[in-house]
Amino acid sequence: MLKRVGCQVGTKEQWNRREFIGVGSLGFLGIHLSQALRLEAALSDTARSSPGKAKACILVWLDGGPSQVDTWDPKPNSSFRPIPTNVAGIQISELLPKLAKRMDKLAVIRSIKSFGNDHPQAVHYSATGHLHNPAMQFPALGSIVAKELGPRNNMPPYVIAPRWEKSTQYQDYFKSAFLGPDYAPMTIPDPSKEDYQVPNLSLPKSLMPAVVDNRRSFLQAVDRHYRHRVESLEHSRMDAFLEKAWDMILTPSVGAAFDLSKESTRTREAYGLDSVGQSLLLARRLVEAGTRFVTAAGYHGNSWDTHKGNDKGHRDRLTPPLDRALSALLDDLNQRGLYESTLVVAMGEFGRTPHINPDLGRDHWPGCWSLVLGGGGLQTGQVVGKSDEQGAVIVERPISIGDLFATVYKAMGIDWHKEYMTPVGRPIKIANSFDDLTGQPISELV
Amino acid sequence: MSKLVSRLPQIPMLPTLVAGFLLIPALQSTAGPEPSSSDLLSLRLAPDKTTLRWKDASQQFSVVATFAGGRETDVTSRAEFSLADPAVARLGSAGRVVAAGDGQTWLKVTFASLKAQASVVVVDSARPPPFTYEKEIGAILTRRGCNDVACHAGVKGQGGFRLSINAAHPRQDYDWIVEGGVFQVLTDERGEPIVPRVDTEAPESSLLLRKPSLEVAHGGGLRLEKGSADYQAIANWIGRGAPYHEGNGGDLPKVEGLEVFPREGLLQEGGSRQLIVTALLSDGTREDYTHRVRFESKQQEVAELDRQGLVRALNPGESNILVRGAGYEVQSRIGVVAEWIHDYPELPRANFIDDEVFAKLRKFNILPSRRSGDAEFLRRVCLDLTGRMPPAGRVREFLADPDPQKREKLIEVLLDSPEFVDYWTFRLADLFRVAVFPVGINPKWSQSYWEWIRDAVARNRPYDRVAEERISAQGYSPASRHYLPYLVLPPPENMMGEEIRVFMGRRLDCAQCHDHPYERWTQDQFWGMAAFFGSMFRLGANPESVVFDSPDGREVAADVPSPTELRVLHPRTGQEVAPTLLNGTRVAFDGPGFPRGEMAKWITSHPYFAEASVNRFWSYFFGRGIVDPVDDFRSNNPPTHPELLRRLAEDFARNGYDLRHLFRRIARSRTYQLSSAVNRTNRADRLNYSRALSRPLDAEILLDAICDVTGVPETYGNWLHKKKGRGGAPRGTRAVQLKETDIYQSTFLDTFGRPNRFSIPERDGKSNLTRALHLLVGSTYNEKLWAEGARVYELFKGGASDAEIVEELYLAAFSRFPTPSEVEELERLIAQTPSREQALRDLQWALITSREFAENH
Repeated sequence: MLKRVGCQVGTKEQWNRREFIGVGSLGFLGIHLSQALRLEAALSDTARSSPGKAKACILVWLDGGPSQVDTWDPKPNSSFRPIPTNVAGIQISELLPKLAKRMDKLAVIRSIKSFGNDHPQAVHYSATGHLHNPAMQFPALGSIVAKELGPRNNMPPYVIAPRWEKSTQYQDYFKSAFLGPDYAPMTIPDPSKEDYQVPNLSLPKSLMPAVVDNRRSFLQAVDRHYRHRVESLEHSRMDAFLEKAWDMILTPSVGAAFDLSKESTRTREAYGLDSVGQSLLLARRLVEAGTRFVTAAGYHGNSWDTHKGNDKGHRDRLTPPLDRALSALLDDLNQRGLYESTLVVAMGEFGRTPHINPDLGRDHWPGCWSLVLGGGGLQTGQVVGKSDEQGAVIVERPISIGDLFATVYKAMGIDWHKEYMTPVGRPIKIANSFDDLTGQPISELV
Repeated sequence: MSKLVSRLPQIPMLPTLVAGFLLIPALQSTAGPEPSSSDLLSLRLAPDKTTLRWKDASQQFSVVATFAGGRETDVTSRAEFSLADPAVARLGSAGRVVAAGDGQTWLKVTFASLKAQASVVVVDSARPPPFTYEKEIGAILTRRGCNDVACHAGVKGQGGFRLSINAAHPRQDYDWIVEGGVFQVLTDERGEPIVPRVDTEAPESSLLLRKPSLEVAHGGGLRLEKGSADYQAIANWIGRGAPYHEGNGGDLPKVEGLEVFPREGLLQEGGSRQLIVTALLSDGTREDYTHRVRFESKQQEVAELDRQGLVRALNPGESNILVRGAGYEVQSRIGVVAEWIHDYPELPRANFIDDEVFAKLRKFNILPSRRSGDAEFLRRVCLDLTGRMPPAGRVREFLADPDPQKREKLIEVLLDSPEFVDYWTFRLADLFRVAVFPVGINPKWSQSYWEWIRDAVARNRPYDRVAEERISAQGYSPASRHYLPYLVLPPPENMMGEEIRVFMGRRLDCAQCHDHPYERWTQDQFWGMAAFFGSMFRLGANPESVVFDSPDGREVAADVPSPTELRVLHPRTGQEVAPTLLNGTRVAFDGPGFPRGEMAKWITSHPYFAEASVNRFWSYFFGRGIVDPVDDFRSNNPPTHPELLRRLAEDFARNGYDLRHLFRRIARSRTYQLSSAVNRTNRADRLNYSRALSRPLDAEILLDAICDVTGVPETYGNWLHKKKGRGGAPRGTRAVQLKETDIYQSTFLDTFGRPNRFSIPERDGKSNLTRALHLLVGSTYNEKLWAEGARVYELFKGGASDAEIVEELYLAAFSRFPTPSEVEELERLIAQTPSREQALRDLQWALITSREFAENH
């Protein structure tokens, strides 16, 4: 799973410097007053902080990195055929037939370029928009959205479901880093498992509400002496969280949001009873109840990392749950009138090599890959960017992770130019593109 | 620097009767209640002499009164000033003296019955000062905040315009202004459009004026009011053609440093104090720079400043005042107290730690808390030295022991205990990042690395040797494993950055892409250090590969990476960088030893090493470093107790970098043994060790404590093992004993902040929602309460009374006896609960959920 492969990352020089003389560099252009004033107007409230349509975002995380030529960017070097979609002129792989019928609800980006040739670096990069650095940690997109939009209806603002069951190494890249615990994700076990219990959100069977009250009395009695002797701000913080936790536990709607048994069998089956399907169903319930950002990680443990048997893996194991669950999610959100206010992004940490290796697998390929997104008022039913005839190199409209983040921010009404200051005084862009530029929203979409 | 004028003999001098004296009336009073003037001991004037050169040159003075008990008060605004010879100098406002004519005179000052004086020499008073950009324009940009790190002195500049911080590089700044161009962070090239920021034909149309005066949009807001003196000065300069120098400006002495008076000061809430900043010039003279610098209070709720350097005390606490100008930065530490302690007591001291800590407390008018009680001390020292709470039996024994030396004896017992070895192995394994994935996937490697650490702790190996071995490790040495994650070497700059941060407490990372924004570290220094790691290569096949340094930094063998990969290239210049220490010394490959080994020796013998090490270990005992964060030493993050840090480091080095010696020193100090209960004077203090600060227990320590107190051990599954459910840690294994923390599953440890060891571990003990939920309904807090072997269950089965159970649980969880009222209240609660079993469960739950349990205090 941690096999090193010799794929090449494109050089920095290839990167288009188009944005440099842009809005962000207004300062030195101020000599041309009329221009400056025009730009200033462009920078005013309308552009930077207009309320977004999207109130929540679901990140469908395809851990391990899907093969772009076998999914969203079909090419002759794939074993699978391209098929038409319900949008004239857009074709995707035959492995995604259900999604092909819903192409009008999604936009495909075929020219994503990222960094990180192995999973740790790449997951870190795609989750945060920053290169991995052993000296500091960066907040993930979900934590930034949670911070900027804040919680709704007592719901935890940021949830990861299911949590990574083994090593939490990759999951750690989806955390809040220096933004602190208020914006850290709540992590949930696999909702497709039989013993799935909303963790820490419902009272264990042995614990009745009356017992809870009794415990509070004991706790007060036991801790009074110390609280009187030692003053600490942390105590009131703790109390606030405990209060909130009690509220969540005792608010039926909060616990209910996590309770998939409230869904009909038909709905549950439509999503698929596997981890991918049930986590997407859970994500829908959560955003409906008020959660701002859900990383739906039904695929984890490098599921899409098909160094061996790429075709078989994509055909039998990987694309069917994605095709089914994402389609069900799109239908469900639309039927409930939630799609206009819910962004959906489906992506992994990189793409896969255009060529097949001796193990019949495809290796890591961060230089040119694809993802889809939609909802939240985005202009869908279109393709942005273009790769060459092998899906190997970007030939048109390179898009960075920072551009993707900026698109999400704009759709949610967040100023994508923002920088956070780390505790040691280093400014960190929330939408970090290459060459130290600020990511720009994908104008075709938003 | 000031002249002390003793109380006696006094020369009666009624100012009104002395002809030729200029009087200024006392300004309004700003100080709060203060001791009566009968306690006034002396008066001093700072500076005690000055030379004013050039037309209209001036000097800010400060008048400080000292009262009995050592209290100092700034009385500048209330003292009466006069000048002996008004032809030489005249009085400006608020303690400022301005040159009038060449000659010498005395500034005299009177407050209550005391007097002080300072010599004022005036030269060249008829000649305007020769103009230099740095002194006149650079200072304006500094004072107005234009060259703050958050503005144009940021790494990237701002809006394409880059200035050096505090005008450290005036010539570069000047070029960016008069030549124009867009600053680009990753190259030396000047970006388009290259248009001057000054317009000498129409000065007021210059961008340099239009932006900060908001004539055009400016992200930094209004910085320079149109028509202000500074605005006018810049406009005039541009109108004169924006020269760098005028006249013999190029010959003026250079500024070689700044001094601020006072460097430490204490104010009462509502009081104020004038700071005086003096530039040290290259010709040995001094010049008042108070009006040419920028002041910034780091804790603005404690103290605020105006542009003239007058500090106002707002709330009790402590603030660092940063003073920046002419490329330099100095600090004044200002304490603010709510009330004065008139008869500050003598405090008993155990060693030099107390000398330093208590001296500062006295200066800042804070009384330390009383000495901790035996129970409080016992719990704290057991947690800090061994990571576990004392068992109930030990608590009884210790509390009953009448031996006056029992604390010292206990410290020795703990330093010699196997638990000490467990605990400090865990601490170092965390710092050194022992885990399967970060050190190369193969558990055999991480285990040998862990065992190397454990051996070092058990044998008490000198810490400098341990560090040197880790930095220079290669071949089959266990410590080399951290250089080999994922079977490939990390980039040299990452390896270097980590070693410097761990062992020298400095973060050079910023200098990777650009010169450090507020340190003197340059990009060249960064890559010079990185080059020591540039000749490392991996030899052998997975999983037995090892790391070596190429002997000549070049050729290795045919089947290992090509020679070009064994070089470090400077990212800006593309030139190969030779291994160069931070002090500029190049280390050649043909010298004795190999360069990385030489660097390891250099690091561990450098004063930074001892300082950074003691600071880090200190933080384990006090919850914060003397420099905090512990690995972020830099000039604008100064130590709270510089002398203490120096002495600890010296003591550590002199005693062979012996960790046990250092820990003994700390644990025996009165400072460490203070109670955590606050008193009236130290409530606001969190920096000066005036009391023990409560700190949350780290995840592993907390989980072990829960297991100890409940009597129910934790089981740890191993997800890496081929067979599901196999390979778990043996039953009874403590969290601190897990060798490779990343392969053992634990929801509790993950929830409560076990670091993943992929980057230098940082722990966050703060509460959050997930933790709160876990406390209420999580498995750890619910499944250990009532089971075969559980403490409370066994007591219950053994027929113990409620009072006996309460006492036993308190001893185990809080290391103290319950108070009679606690016993009474709990007995009542137990009786009120429908079933006794439920009551005892709830009591046990409450104990492990309480803050008294979950914190070290």
